[in-house]
Amino acid sequence: MASLSAEERSALQDAVHRLLAERCTEADVRATMETPEGYDPDLWARLSEMGLPGLLIAEAHGGSGAGPLELEAIMEEAGAALLCSPLLASGVIAATLLAALGDEAANARLLPAVASGDAIATVALTGDKGAWTAGGVDVTASPTPDGWVLDGAAAHVLHAQNADILLALAHTAAGLDVFEVDPTAQGLTIEPAPTFDHTLRLARLTFTAVPAQRLEASGPVWDAVQAALDMALVALAGEQAGATRRCLDFTVDYANTRIQFGRPIGGFQAIKHMAADLLLEAESATSAARNAAARLAEGSPDAPAAISLAAFACADAFVTTTAASIQMHGGIAFTWAHPAHLYLRRARADAQLFGTPGFHRERYLQQLGA
Amino acid sequence: MTEQTDAQLRDEVTAWLAAHWSPERRGDKTWLAEVVAAGWAVPRWSVDWFGRELADPQARIIERAFTEAAAPGSGQDRTNLWANTLLAKGTEPLKAQLVGPLLRGEVGMCLLYSEPGAGSDLAGIRTRADNQGDRYIVNGQKVWTSTAANADYGMLIARTDWDVPKHRGISFFFCPMKQPGVEVRPLRQITNESFFNEVFLTDVEIPADNLLGREGEGWGVLQTALAYERSVMGEMARGPRSGVKDATAEEPLIALAREAGVLADPVLRQQIAQAIAYKRLNALNTARAKADLAQGSSSSIMSLGKLAMSRILHEEARVRTAILGAESLYEGKDHPRAEDANFLTLNAYFTSIGGGTDQIQRNIIGERVLGLPKEPELDRDIPFRDVRTQGG
Repeated sequence: MASLSAEERSALQDAVHRLLAERCTEADVRATMETPEGYDPDLWARLSEMGLPGLLIAEAHGGSGAGPLELEAIMEEAGAALLCSPLLASGVIAATLLAALGDEAANARLLPAVASGDAIATVALTGDKGAWTAGGVDVTASPTPDGWVLDGAAAHVLHAQNADILLALAHTAAGLDVFEVDPTAQGLTIEPAPTFDHTLRLARLTFTAVPAQRLEASGPVWDAVQAALDMALVALAGEQAGATRRCLDFTVDYANTRIQFGRPIGGFQAIKHMAADLLLEAESATSAARNAAARLAEGSPDAPAAISLAAFACADAFVTTTAASIQMHGGIAFTWAHPAHLYLRRARADAQLFGTPGFHRERYLQQLGA
Repeated sequence: MTEQTDAQLRDEVTAWLAAHWSPERRGDKTWLAEVVAAGWAVPRWSVDWFGRELADPQARIIERAFTEAAAPGSGQDRTNLWANTLLAKGTEPLKAQLVGPLLRGEVGMCLLYSEPGAGSDLAGIRTRADNQGDRYIVNGQKVWTSTAANADYGMLIARTDWDVPKHRGISFFFCPMKQPGVEVRPLRQITNESFFNEVFLTDVEIPADNLLGREGEGWGVLQTALAYERSVMGEMARGPRSGVKDATAEEPLIALAREAGVLADPVLRQQIAQAIAYKRLNALNTARAKADLAQGSSSSIMSLGKLAMSRILHEEARVRTAILGAESLYEGKDHPRAEDANFLTLNAYFTSIGGGTDQIQRNIIGERVLGLPKEPELDRDIPFRDVRTQGG
């Protein structure tokens, strides 16, 4: 995987920062989260021009062939701005899964449109229980004379309501496989689900004898799925770290300007000490996210441990910081008009996707040999 | 001195070490004297003061060569708290008398800062030093002084002016310890050890030449000394606690839970993972801060290290206790695991109170890093003799 130089990475991050500062303001986020699509097609087009959906996709398939370090850097910006987009579903999970499976014909057909942002891809990874393991898959695939058909249900599918390309995990008699499904196929229902985080789009899918095309796998299928999950976790960790930092910053700004008892509330130790503890959370999240990206980029045997560490450290830091932020603001943050609850909602959503903090603490311990 | 290339310097120091150093010389009292005489102890310092006037990168070459040879004595221009403070702020006679012996490790030293009534508020000290012309006479009580029993000198802060606000009436001394008015009493700590002492000072005499900085400017000298102390402690904190750490060794908490037969307990597993994570995250923060510094950008992370370490130590001890359960009821040689857990539980306060409590640390982070308003100080601008004290 060809990584950018540190300067190029920093330039890309700056460009994303400037674009989001202009086009992904709080007002933009609020407007976008009220739309059925849950993303702004114009902004998606601008992000696509910058190459974000194709960041991880090989140059042969129209991407830039970058890796986890670049992804983590731009996700810090995306998280800080609460960007609403299908990037995680399409450019991260679907793109990584396809590349890891290695079905060259499918990749040549599907990846260029994902890379350009013209198509939105997503993967049905798990069932209603939300266990991000092979055992969590509730779809079965059966062979028929006319090809494979899928039956069952998938849940928590990112941006399925917007998907042009739909991939689904399903059990066959021989084990797990990945199938490509036409999102408009007979027998498939895609039911958007109302989400606590209004900037997120999830759908529940039911399959009744839905025709599907099995993708070839060059290795164990779960390894490819795990690769996609690990990349998603690095992206999420970056998002959590960036959002944690932004939330801390606006909370500290408020503590410096809100006057009670004749002085800024940040001068009271009750607030100041909370802020100091949150700085430790924010810095630790940033370190953990960047470390996970670096270990994954270099293909280190420590990568799974680093990714799980980042998964629970960043999730906990983001939830802790946003929850404390509301308390530190007081009444103003109990209003819908204040952005703090938008961050808390995102934090609580991010802490559930691809494994809870408890799941990742357990995985971390197992990676350490226990 | 003619300028050397990096390679020439590396060759010279390596050759010198090969000719002079051998591991058997560890503990040899003459070794440091040779290092000082050869100019390797304080290469950043001037030639007049045992140095070579080298810039930091070349000084690091020397330190690295010493580290690779496992030879002590180099890098003292960064790490020797006493000699650095003295060189920066001392009188010419005192420097001439003590800088060399300090570098050669011939002088025992201790710190006489904290008092029973001046802990977090160190500028509230009440030990007095009265100016008698050629000498000062000191009376008062100091506490939390380690290595006091064998010390030749203590770095002392004492009040020389009671009519100005508290920070402005303090002076800084090298106080001779081997005299009748100095009484050192070991302090029994909650761990049942006696690492620290109380030091009672009664009509103690200090020559006027032993004043560092000017009279009344001791608070500034103290800041210089504390900066050196923090940088030394930072270096120590980054090293392994004992010996070389085996990278393949199992995490101690995992090993303990395995040995205690509770490694399968899902609640403990979560707690063990979290305790290890705190430690790992702190290491990652430190590595990132060092990388930031190397690139020339300052980092706010360094100020977080002590607070993070408090949490690590208290949490490790808590999880150890949870793993042992009822075994932690006991102490003594038949219960070494309980001894460890119980000791660590109490000793964690060494870090969360010593060197600035966690609460003071949070003030510092909030004010200096996050830019929040400073604490109000009711005693800042009034003469010290009018400042309220316990019961006052």
